[in-house]
Amino acid sequence: MEALGYFLTPWLDIKLLFLVAAGTFAGVYVGAIPGLSVTMAVSILIGFTFTWDVYPALCLMVGIFMGGVYGGSRTAILLNIPGAPSAIATAMDGYPLAQKGLAGEAIGISTVMSFVGGLIGIAVLALAAPTVSDFALTFQPRDFMLLAVLGILLVGSLSGESLVKGIFAGAMGLLIGTVGMDPLTAEERFTFGFTQLWGGISFIAVMIGMFGVSEALAQLHHVDKTAVKQTISRIVPSFASVRKYLPLSLQTSSIGVIIGALPGTGGDIAALMAYDHAKRVTKNPEVPFGQGAKEGLVAPETANNAAVGGAFIPMLTLGIPGDAVTAIMIGALYIHGLNPGPMLMIDQPQMFWFITGALALANIFMLIFGLTGIRLFTKIVEMPRTVLIPLILLLSIVGAYAVNNAITDVYWMLAFGVLGYFMKSYGYQLGPVILGVILSRLLDENWRRAIISDQGSLVSLFKGMLTSPLSLVLLAMVVMIFVSQTPIWKRWRNKAGLPASGGDHNAPGSGA
Amino acid sequence: MHDKRMRSAGEIAFNGGMFVLSLVLLVAAYAISGFESLSSPGALPMAVALAMVVSSGLILLDNVRNSRRDGTRFIRDILPPAVIVMMLFVAGYAVLLVPLGFLPTSLLFLALSIIYLRRGGIAYALTVSLVALLLVYVVFRLVFTVLMPAGIVPEAEILAAIGRMFGGAE
Repeated sequence: MEALGYFLTPWLDIKLLFLVAAGTFAGVYVGAIPGLSVTMAVSILIGFTFTWDVYPALCLMVGIFMGGVYGGSRTAILLNIPGAPSAIATAMDGYPLAQKGLAGEAIGISTVMSFVGGLIGIAVLALAAPTVSDFALTFQPRDFMLLAVLGILLVGSLSGESLVKGIFAGAMGLLIGTVGMDPLTAEERFTFGFTQLWGGISFIAVMIGMFGVSEALAQLHHVDKTAVKQTISRIVPSFASVRKYLPLSLQTSSIGVIIGALPGTGGDIAALMAYDHAKRVTKNPEVPFGQGAKEGLVAPETANNAAVGGAFIPMLTLGIPGDAVTAIMIGALYIHGLNPGPMLMIDQPQMFWFITGALALANIFMLIFGLTGIRLFTKIVEMPRTVLIPLILLLSIVGAYAVNNAITDVYWMLAFGVLGYFMKSYGYQLGPVILGVILSRLLDENWRRAIISDQGSLVSLFKGMLTSPLSLVLLAMVVMIFVSQTPIWKRWRNKAGLPASGGDHNAPGSGA
Repeated sequence: MHDKRMRSAGEIAFNGGMFVLSLVLLVAAYAISGFESLSSPGALPMAVALAMVVSSGLILLDNVRNSRRDGTRFIRDILPPAVIVMMLFVAGYAVLLVPLGFLPTSLLFLALSIIYLRRGGIAYALTVSLVALLLVYVVFRLVFTVLMPAGIVPEAEILAAIGRMFGGAE
């Protein structure tokens, strides 16, 4: 019953209610405007909400997260430009529907289905997280270490063009995270004699640089593209059509939650897998897939919103982020003095239930804002990039400066923005960098704990890994990622006729 | 996954730079505590720096072996003038922010970049910048209470004066 009270806190406090609503509203538009991404918005917002209390700050960020995942589908349908990576699959059938003049109907059904998916994801989060958290208490330091490595490798291998580049990016992030005084021995690491580096590099500066500045700079390539106008008919879908797709949406929501809950995999992969699933189980679609099948719209939209709840499970119970956005959310929790991990549920259960409540509330607001205000929406999406890009850059600078009131952070942000820009241009993914920065401390601490508890012997550490079932599974997964990149495996897979994993992640506006 | 990917302009130089950077970082990581013990503060830094050296080395090797170039040109496709100019604008903003203050620097930055990106239209650029800056200021300075350097604008006095105007009747 106590949990219910915490769950309802954001619902009953008018200020928090308003902040969730404002966040969701902003998220829908941020997600929808190509060139703005949820990762960008949340990382910049950390800077701004730095001085706030933790509750209101969380309300705003949860709202933006939820709204942003949904918002990406709008532009995917209307313009064939996924506003977020998780909306890539939505464009495949959403845009053909819009071309047929059914944009309103497509938006309506995707909104309601996103709501259904989001609800299922949150329900699973509320039910599963306490159990996962209990289970996580039995984890050894080496398990956390393996989980962190696994998370980075998964993000690196699934989202990039090559695992090697993913590893490089992840290792770079881990290294950035170690700069400064060692938290255990106060020895200097990578400070090169500069006292300014003792405190480390502000990870917010890194985030804003990588996701704000570099993205804005990359958008300069398409500064002259203009949006296509669409006429929009009726939006609110009929009850019959909702009921028709409900069975499919339940299946794809489960896919979404499970994929979202795996460390390292987020909404984009969930959406693609759900789309694939819908294609297989739908025997006689009214319209073929790829030409405007509503099933092809329902599946990814339920899955990517269900993945939000799923992604919060490892994030809150293990402290391991599922993708770049959850990595940034963890960063936000750190900033506010919270320590996501198995102890969170024990020390601060109110925080867990509060976040779950805010998510549920954001889901409802998403439904409301999704079904209204379409006219305003088309106006905002048509905002010229010549104005949008300078504004993003301005907000990035303000956000980076605001955290420590230090101009040095702005220079770091700019440096990482330029680095990120080049990395993007040459096919590196930026998601693993952020994951690395966030997981650096966790990996460092747990590695050292693990090796100390085994008296500094690598042999007994490995022995421990091979004898514990959990460590063994995790280790096997890490090894599997490497094996799957070898030529032998690829040849075998081609022979078996399995489809290649992943998809086109180079869509414009994809933040991760 | 794309083994047959062609190399873009400047890619070897960038990957080479990353490789050299990784080597430097590996040396710096070794300098932290050497091979003292597996749980020393330098252990993880050395491991990740080694991972960077190996991965960037492999990337570079792949580049050098794969001599086929795509049709990109560095200054047209990778680093077009617009990107350089905007990078310089942001750097300029960072330099001017503290001495000049948030409001004038931001106005200058927004107006200049909009003029540059739109190639003209000074009146439009100034109007849009002013409106945008006003919005940013209200939302972030007043709602989010973010403190920005005041610089040459007596911001606190102006805010106080506005406060007196509205609350002055009492």
